[in-house]
Amino acid sequence: MRFEIEVELDSKIYGYSIAFELPEGFKELRILGEKLEVDGKPVYAREVAQVHLSREGQVKEANFLIDWHLVALPIIQEKSAKDPLSILKQWLARMLILQPIPSLIDGISEQETLQPNRQLLDLGAWFTGLLVNTPSAYTKIDTYLKQVMPDLEDIQNPETGTDSRSLFVRFSNEQGKMRLPFKDLSDGEKSFVICALVLAANSIYGPLFCFWDEPDSFLSLEEVGHFIMTLRRAFQSGGQFVATSHNSEAIRSFSDENTLVLYRKSRLEPTIVRLLEEFQIDGELIGTLIRGDLDL
Amino acid sequence: MKVNKHKPHVLLLPEDDDNRQLANGFCLSLPESTNIKILPLADGWMEVFDVFESREISGMRAYSERFMVLLIDFDNHLDRIDYAKRKIPHDLENRVFILGSLIEPKDLKRAGLGTLEEIGSSLAKDCREGTDTVWGHDLLRHNATELERLRAYVRPILFV
Repeated sequence: MRFEIEVELDSKIYGYSIAFELPEGFKELRILGEKLEVDGKPVYAREVAQVHLSREGQVKEANFLIDWHLVALPIIQEKSAKDPLSILKQWLARMLILQPIPSLIDGISEQETLQPNRQLLDLGAWFTGLLVNTPSAYTKIDTYLKQVMPDLEDIQNPETGTDSRSLFVRFSNEQGKMRLPFKDLSDGEKSFVICALVLAANSIYGPLFCFWDEPDSFLSLEEVGHFIMTLRRAFQSGGQFVATSHNSEAIRSFSDENTLVLYRKSRLEPTIVRLLEEFQIDGELIGTLIRGDLDL
Repeated sequence: MKVNKHKPHVLLLPEDDDNRQLANGFCLSLPESTNIKILPLADGWMEVFDVFESREISGMRAYSERFMVLLIDFDNHLDRIDYAKRKIPHDLENRVFILGSLIEPKDLKRAGLGTLEEIGSSLAKDCREGTDTVWGHDLLRHNATELERLRAYVRPILFV
């Protein structure tokens, strides 16, 4: 198994690759090779247990051994925050891999983070982290949310104990006011808040890679297109947004050159991934998908 | 996000998947997309007008701030615009626009103007900046009259 990632950060191309193998008689995978390059120049390379650190400035090259079950990237110590290792590791750590479960998100936090977990059960901590990191993040969050929830007044995050905070959302219009604990928002409203935080995060500490598993799951049909387009637009100027979807409105918000079709005949066969533009589609895409006529 | 039907908004009705992708690119280049929606495909240029007549006319009459852009392929038949104009009720003609490529959108791609999304984005940029960089292409320049109307009515809605 080989994984490769290439990303442009601060106008430099970072290339990282890692390959695993399962030799005969082994119970666990071992690392066959690993490499990090910046603009084509090696930072380190590794073959099985042997790691070679390239010379950089005054720092001499070095060789050392590492357990062949361990990935070298998190182990090699970076020299400063400007070290390519540090830059790549931070970017990797801040990737947003999202598979939120809105009904379980309560908005309560006991810490702050810029690295929320996949289900976003720590959304409150992420909200706090964003605002502590960059207070102007609130303006970005507020601007988007007021587009999609016109009667939103503000989001509050008061202390509820020595080390805890809890999100509350206030709404108001000519008919009155309402203050709701975050947990009482609908799943769709929580999805809007997640979207607002993603937009703010990419703007503040991006460019980010954001993978969102079925972002349309809790939205009404009339909301999906705008929701996806907003995310796509925001990531045009930096970062990358990838979504999975079975929703026709979400699928229609992408085009042939940026839609991947994933298909697996059975559990025992590998998933086939192909760009939509490689298919000859006779007629309309969604109808073709519904009929199952997209021949892989 | 619900489009506020009582404020100016634009609906795009594409003939086919290629026109939808042009529309995607157009929407991606707008400052925001709260007042524009891409409708399901009509699946044929005549069907665009059938769908418009059967499903959209009542909505346009109900919502006076609704504008409609019909995206068709001319398939080298520029007289389709005459057919189209006959299908638009007199009371709605100021709010309905018919645009399309001379033959089909794939020709724009073959002409090296980019992917369909990129072309759509360039068309939006032209609209925003009042230029004709892409709209002036041989395969699109026949839209000049409609485009002029579109700019007058729709530009203030989409490019605020």
